[in-house]
Order: sequence, then C-alpha cells, then structure tokens
Amino acid sequence: MTRSLTRRRFVLALGGLSGAALLAACGQSEPTPTAAPASGSTAASPTVALASGTGTTSPTAPAVVQNTGSKVKVLYWGSYSGTLGEAEQALVQRFNESQNEVELEYQYQGSYEETAQKLTQALAAGTTPDVVLLSDVWWFKFYLNDILLPLNDLFAANGIDTSDYVDPLIEEGTRQGTVYWVPFARSTPLFYYNKQIWQEAGLPDRGPATWDEFVEWSGQLVKREGGNTTRYAFGHPSAASYIAWLFQPVCWQWGGRYSDPDFTIRIQEEPAVEAGRFYLASVRDGMAVPSQDLVADFVNGAVAAMMASTGSLGGILRSASFPVGTAFLPEGPAGFGCCTGGAGLAILKNKPQEVQEAAFRWIAFATSPESTMWWSQNTGYMPVRKSAIASAEMQRYFEENPNFKTAVDQLPKTRPQDAARVWIPNGDQIIGKGLERVTVQQEDPATVFADVAQTLEREARPVVEQLKRREG
Amino acid sequence: MERSLKVLEQQRTVATPVRSDEQAAASRLRRILGERLLFVLFVAPNLLLLAVFTYWPLVVNVYLSFQQWDLISPVKVFVGLENYRFLLGDRDFHEVLRNTVVYTAGTVGGTLVLGLLFALLLDQRLRGIALARSVVFAPYVLSGAAVGIFWVNMLNPRFGVVGQVASWLGTVSPDWLNHPRLAMVAVILVSIWKTVGFATIVYLAGLQRIPQELYEAAMVDGAGALARFRAVTLPQLGPTTLFLVVVSTIASFQAFDLIKVLTNGGPVNATTTLLFYIWEQGFVAFNAGRAAAASVFLFVILAIISLLQVRIGERRVSYD
Amino acid sequence: MTRPLRWRRVLTRLVLAALVWLVVAVMGLPLYWVATGALKTNREIYTFPPVWIPRDPQWSNFLAAWEAVPFGRFFLNSLVTTAGAVTIELLFALLSAYALVFLDARGKGFVFAVTVAALLVPQTVTLLPNYLTIARLGWINTYQGLIVPVAAVAFGVFLFRQHFLTLPRELVDAARLDGCGHLGLLRHVVVPLSQPVIVTFLVIYLVSHWNDFLWPLVATNRLEWRTVPIGVAYLYDVEGVQNWGPILAGTVMALLPMLVVYVLAQRWIVKGIGGGALKG
Repeated sequence: MTRSLTRRRFVLALGGLSGAALLAACGQSEPTPTAAPASGSTAASPTVALASGTGTTSPTAPAVVQNTGSKVKVLYWGSYSGTLGEAEQALVQRFNESQNEVELEYQYQGSYEETAQKLTQALAAGTTPDVVLLSDVWWFKFYLNDILLPLNDLFAANGIDTSDYVDPLIEEGTRQGTVYWVPFARSTPLFYYNKQIWQEAGLPDRGPATWDEFVEWSGQLVKREGGNTTRYAFGHPSAASYIAWLFQPVCWQWGGRYSDPDFTIRIQEEPAVEAGRFYLASVRDGMAVPSQDLVADFVNGAVAAMMASTGSLGGILRSASFPVGTAFLPEGPAGFGCCTGGAGLAILKNKPQEVQEAAFRWIAFATSPESTMWWSQNTGYMPVRKSAIASAEMQRYFEENPNFKTAVDQLPKTRPQDAARVWIPNGDQIIGKGLERVTVQQEDPATVFADVAQTLEREARPVVEQLKRREG
Repeated sequence: MERSLKVLEQQRTVATPVRSDEQAAASRLRRILGERLLFVLFVAPNLLLLAVFTYWPLVVNVYLSFQQWDLISPVKVFVGLENYRFLLGDRDFHEVLRNTVVYTAGTVGGTLVLGLLFALLLDQRLRGIALARSVVFAPYVLSGAAVGIFWVNMLNPRFGVVGQVASWLGTVSPDWLNHPRLAMVAVILVSIWKTVGFATIVYLAGLQRIPQELYEAAMVDGAGALARFRAVTLPQLGPTTLFLVVVSTIASFQAFDLIKVLTNGGPVNATTTLLFYIWEQGFVAFNAGRAAAASVFLFVILAIISLLQVRIGERRVSYD
Repeated sequence: MTRPLRWRRVLTRLVLAALVWLVVAVMGLPLYWVATGALKTNREIYTFPPVWIPRDPQWSNFLAAWEAVPFGRFFLNSLVTTAGAVTIELLFALLSAYALVFLDARGKGFVFAVTVAALLVPQTVTLLPNYLTIARLGWINTYQGLIVPVAAVAFGVFLFRQHFLTLPRELVDAARLDGCGHLGLLRHVVVPLSQPVIVTFLVIYLVSHWNDFLWPLVATNRLEWRTVPIGVAYLYDVEGVQNWGPILAGTVMALLPMLVVYVLAQRWIVKGIGGGALKG
C-alpha cells in the first residue's frame, strides 16, 4: 500500500468523523489500524438497535403497542428507591405474577421533582410512560395541560366503587366529579414525641391536646446548660423539607388558610398571620428551633417533639434509641386540622386504549384493599381503602403497632391542602421560604405573609387562566 | 524534551529511505487540500458538536426568553421583554445576583489564597509529602453531591463534627447551614475545601518552574524571605494566577450540585446563586421563559467578567 | 553559620512541617468522616458526641449498597461513558489546538473564541434542547446518547493551545523540513512533548464525566443504562429517614476509581500543569 493511499484514506476517514487512530506516521508506511478508540461512540453501533426497543409507546405511534405473547406491556415511572423502592419492586412483581395479561415494568426516575421534570421532557419528545406516580404538588400541572386520562369509566368497568377510598384522599385527585389521580402512597403530618424526655419531664404519656398545653409543657422539655439551649421542645423544618406542608394544618388550626380553591390568596389575612406569630414566638422564646435536618435532630434527642410525615415512622423507629410516641396534631384556637400529602397514580392520555386499560389494572391492583394493606405495613404510608382499614388483619396490625394506628385514626379527620401550595407552580417553596423568614430570620409574619401573598397572586395568574380554559 | 528529540531522530532514520516518495505525496496532498482545508478538517468535528449540543440550545434559550411557557403546554405566549423586565425589577433576583457575586468572589479568592499558601507549604522536601499532596487534592475528584452529603452531616451543630469542635472550645456551634449569613459562609468554605486541591497543584507546578537563579539574585541583593516572595514568586506566578482566576470563576458560576445538597438555596434565598435560580425557575416552577432570561443574564455576565479578567490580567501579568 | 541561626532554621523547618500536617488534618478530616461513616449504623451517625471510630464496623453497608441496585452494570456504563467521552474529547482537543497553533489559516481567532465561549453556557440551558435532540435521534438509553452530547471540548482546547504555543518553533520547523506531515508531527513530536498536559487533561475530564449526574439522569430512564452517580441516588428514600450507612458506602464506592486514577497519575499531574500549559 502506498503512502498516498494511506493518506487519502485518512482524509476520507476524518471527513467521516471517525479518524481517531488513522494518524499516518511520518516516514513510516505502517498499515493503518482501522479500529479507532472512539469508534464505539461515533458510527452506528449495536446499541442503536437496543435503543429502539425501549418499550415506551409514543403517542404519535399508537401502533407500537408491544405484545409479547398476548401480554400488554405497560411502562410505569415512579420515585421510589432505597427501602421504598424495594417495596415498590416487590409490589410490581406481585402484580405481574397475579395475572397473565399485563406485564408492568417499573422505572425509577429520581425524586418526585425529577419524575415530574422527566415526564415534562418526555412529553416534549413523545417518549412518555403509560402510568406515572405524581406527588401532591405535581399532578395538577399535568391535569391542567389535559394529558391525564379521566378514570371514572375505568373504575366503573372494573367494578371498583370509588367511595371505598378514604374520602379526603380520593377527593384530592377529583376535578368536577372525575377522578384523575388515584391515591397510592399517601401520608399525613403526625405529632412525634420522645417518650424518654417526656418521662424525665414528668409529663403524661400522650401528645399535647392543644398548642397552649404544649407551650405550658415546653418549660419542662427545654434544657439549658450555661447560657445555651441543648434541647428544644419543638423544631421547625426547612423549606426544602416542606415546612409549608407542615404549617398548612397549623394555619387551619388558627382558622386561617393559604387560599381558597379558586386561588383567592388568604395567607396574608389575620388568622393565618396569627398562626405565623405563634411560630415566631416559639422560636423567639427559645421553645423551638429551626432545623436543617429535623428528623435527625429528633432522633438524636436535640428536639423533644416534632411534626413529620407518617411516611417517616418506620425510619424513625429504626433510628431512634428511645421509645417514640405519636399523637394527633395539637389543636389550635379554631380546633383540629390536618392535611394529606404524598403521591398518587395517573394514566397518560393519548395512549392506545388497550394500554390504558392494562395500566388501570395496575392502579386497581396497587390500591386494592389487599395491596394497600401490604404496602402500608411495609412503608408507613396510609392505607387508602376504608375496607382495608376495617379489616381484621389491619386491626391486628394496629394492636402490634399503636403508633401506626394513631396515624390511621387521624386520617379521616384530614382534608386536602389549599390550592396555593399544591397548584400554584413552586407554591410550596414560595410559602416555605416565607416561613423560613419567620422561623430563621424572625421577621414579622404580617409583613412576610403580605409579600408571600403578592408573589402567590402573581404566580397564580397563568394557572387561573389555564384552569378557565380547561374547566370553563 | 531530550526524549522527544530522540524520538524525532529515530523517525528520521526510518524515514530516510522513502523521503522522496513521502515528499512527493505530501506536496501532492498539499496541492489538493492546502492547509486551510486541513484546518477545517481538524476543527470541524468539535465545532459541529459544539454547534448542535451547546450553541443550538443557547439559541433555543434566547428564543424562549421572549416567551411565557410552562414547558408542557403546546402554546407558547410571546411576551417580548417581559421576562427581562420582571427580573430587573424583582427583589429576589437582585438578591440572587448579590449572592452570586459574594459566592464567586469568596470561592475564587479563598481558593487562590489558600491554594498558594498550601502550595508553598507543600513545596518542601519532607517525608510523606506525596501523601500530603494527595490528601489536599483528593476532594477535587469527588462529586459535588457526595461532598454535600457528608458536609451536611458534619455541619449539624447538634450532632455533627462542628458541634464537637465547638464543645471542645467551650462554646456552642452556630447552625451554619440554617443561618441567614453563615449559610453562605459555610457554602463558600465547603466549595473552597473541594476546589483548593486543584489550585494547590497548579500553583505547586508553577512554583517549581520558577528559575532558582532569580531567588539567588534576589538574595544577593539582600532581600529577605518576604521580599523575595513579593519580588520573585508572585510576579512569576502571574500567568498561573490568571489561569486559575478565569477557570475558578467559570466553575463557581456553574456550581449546582453542592448548593443543592447543602442548603437547597436557603435559608430563604440566602445561598441561591444565579445557576440555582435558573434551575429552580425552569425545573421546579416550570417557568421556562423566566429561566431562559436568567440564563441569558448568566451568559452575558460571565462573558463580560471573563473578558475583563483576561484583559486586566494580560496588562498586569508579564509573560517572561 | 552561627549556632542561633542554625537553631532558627531547624525551628522554622519544624514549624513548616507541623503546618503541613495541620493542613492535611483539616483537609483530610471530611474524607475520614465519609470513610468511617460508611461503616456506621444509623444510630451511630445520629449520636452526639460524634463517634470517631465505629464500634462495630458495618462492612455489610457496602454489601447492602452493592445489592440494592445493579452497581456492576452501573460501573460498566460509567466506564464506557467516561472513557468514550474522554477519548473523543482528547482527540478533538489535540486536533483543534494543533490546528489553531500550527496550521496557517484564516479565522483562527474566531474558531478559538467560539470554542472557548462554550465554557460560558451553563448545563441547565442545554438539558432540555439536548434531550429533544437525542430523543429525535432515538438515542435515549444508548451509549451514544450518554456520550456524544457531552463530548464537545472547550477547556481542553484552551489547555492544549496554551501548551503548544510554548513548544520550540525550531523543533517543529525541523520536523517539517524532514517531510513530516501534520499528522505525523502531531503524533510523533507534539504529543510526546505534551504527555504531562495530556495526563492533566485526562484527570480533569475523567473527574467531570465520572461525577456527572444531571445529563445521565436525563438521557436514560431504564435501570440498565444508569450510571454510578445515579446508582448512589437510588440508595436514597424519597421520604422518611435515610439509611446513611449504605448511602455513604455507595458514595465511597463511587469515588474510589477516581482516587486510584489520581494516585497513579499524581507525578504527571504536577509536572503536567507545570510543563508550560500556563504560559503564553
């Protein structure tokens, strides 16, 4: 082979963008190696073939419904990893083994936030899953854009009575009488206390009935050494740890609310501000501390009590070296209040009917009385079916796990959150950062909540317009 | 250098028998292609990738900055300069800009000063110096997210290492990550911890390149250690410093993982930098237009700063 | 030399040595913390005063992390992705820098500016458009999808260009006179003279690709295509109390390969950055 030929080949190869190792040596007519180190990534590689078989069914090509044998393949995106992920995987396996028509594949997509982001990207690219897990603050965004399937017909076709779902949970995913978002991994705030500290302080073994009572007790719970507080009675989480979710019930207990369902903002009004003043006082008077990692502070005995998700119960029991007590949230001047939270399941529109029906079978399975019992016992999430809660098996479980019973007993008294937190984009963080101004920077709640209200009103505008178009 | 000369020599001997052939082929090729074409072939693949995966997104971004869009809805609403006007008038955004300046100045300044200091210390003959250098450099290879994870744990005032250190000192640690002002200090310190190793190694290399004669000449002139440092070391490290300033500035403007894990931009907005704000507006609030407009700000600011740095640097740094 | 002066010198050396080890202690403490944290139980992690030496080292944390997700496959993916991207980048950076320094052509300033200005574009800007591009190409859940969009090189071109400018012109001219073509020159003269800079380049780029989280998260959605940093994220729970032992064990596993690379390349890195990369 002559050198010039080598060179020509080189030029051609470089023109083809793959001339990695084709460098001709000077003065040497060595045969040119053809396998460039970079070739695996440039030219068409075997992976391309794999890429087309992702199992995703795109809305533009409904013909891609994949039937392996007679099974309908359904793709499910979720946010559960770690210990929750193991439970989720086990539930999916049970589903796949329970029948022969549908094969469900579970794919973890990151946190709730990341799952919603990925769904957004997938919508733009037409690579969406068939059924997706969305948290309380995300599902509405996709409902507004009309990409979630109305589920009433499928409920009826499968002979499932939606009234067996715990009312506040199913109501939250219902718009104008139609269910779009089915409760699956739902949680509520719960009052946790350190029984050991309680005992040392000589307090009765129960949660405080009211915040007033808790303030009275706090004198015995707070511990000071020298001029420093080494133990607080209570803690406030950060915005990133959803303080806006945990303040929601407190706001109600004072008779206030973040907003009306029609997005009229109410957080700047007196009852809500008064609840904010309670938070401010709790920090100013040294009873409570704002915490970056509240659960850790509780488990470590640095705070004697806290509000946290029922979903944290299992982990807290595992990590705490003291007996943990749970109770209903304390009552405020306006009585009791508690909200729901967590995530639910939704099916994508624009999928072949066959796939949607198969996807619904998964939802029906995952939220069936049997599954919800198993799931709640393995994760700490709430059982979502009334019949499950009433069942003998669940009652037996309650006896062994009184803390879990507290959470479930509180469930019927909960209600869905205010629109401002869950339906305004970033509403959770807008309110959460406002609350941090109160708990961390000790600013006046009246000023802060007025600012927050202004921001919420501004950010709500596009949603209100969209909602008008959507619901008329 | 010597080695490659030898290599060259070897090549030459091998090349000799076919020299004329080689030359003929080369000149033929040169006629066909010319250096310009070769230039294009050499730079085109990379430019193509940059065009598709860096500049095309930038174009899309500029387009989006004039729209109101929630990233899902099929309709984008043209709003002209509204997103820019909003940002310019928004108090939160002003705070974000301030934070970005503080974070960048703190991180870059701290990294450079400590990096030089560490380099001077590590530029000794000492048993175990290689290990010492490894330890100083090691944090640089960690991911921002991983670094954030264990620093959150260490900075907890009630059960973290800082709590322990404070109690040894007979005091109580502040809650670094949950304090309106200290949170930024903590984020800067952790960033410095992560990046100082790189600056140290770069400075170390720079120090070892300074000709010994310069120091000897200064000593003859009777210059003390400090005077020698100011007269010889600092100016000789000029190019190194300029390089580090530019590179660190760009890196700190784009810091994300670390802040996300350490403080999530809080408390309130105390540690929200421009990049974090873009992410929050784009991927949490799904306000594509506002995020895009903020990105344009970031790009422009960064371009101006980099140009200024290079300009000022080139005037003041003497390349021997 | 008088006696007090000698004593002063010894003292100075001692103080300097002590300072070195103080720096090492401060810089190394967090590393020690994460390494031992990987061997602790959740209760030990949540204890005050902090536990410095795990009482009963939980080696099972590593096993738990390894078994929780297919880390073997993730390591393979990270390896292929990192190696692929870095190889392309090295090649492109060498070619581009060579062209910018040694080839005679118009528009060099423009090419250099366009290349380096890419450094100013933040990753958040490119995520969505690039996702749409690879989706259109059918590259989601593929190696090319993971590699190609991040394989363009900007800083590396800058690094090599600065170095090439310091190479003695005579050497290059001599080689040219010998009839060495540009590729031969690059391969047999320039590259051997640039080895330390190449090592530096490799370390910087290996680290950034190995640790990248956002792009692999966007570009893949199936378990078998995930990379190591996402594997670590799999160890987290979306709600509740984190199981810290396995998370920190996974973190340690993820960072070990890069530490090994650094230790192996350490001598070269120091020399490399000093090898003239910063002049000009």
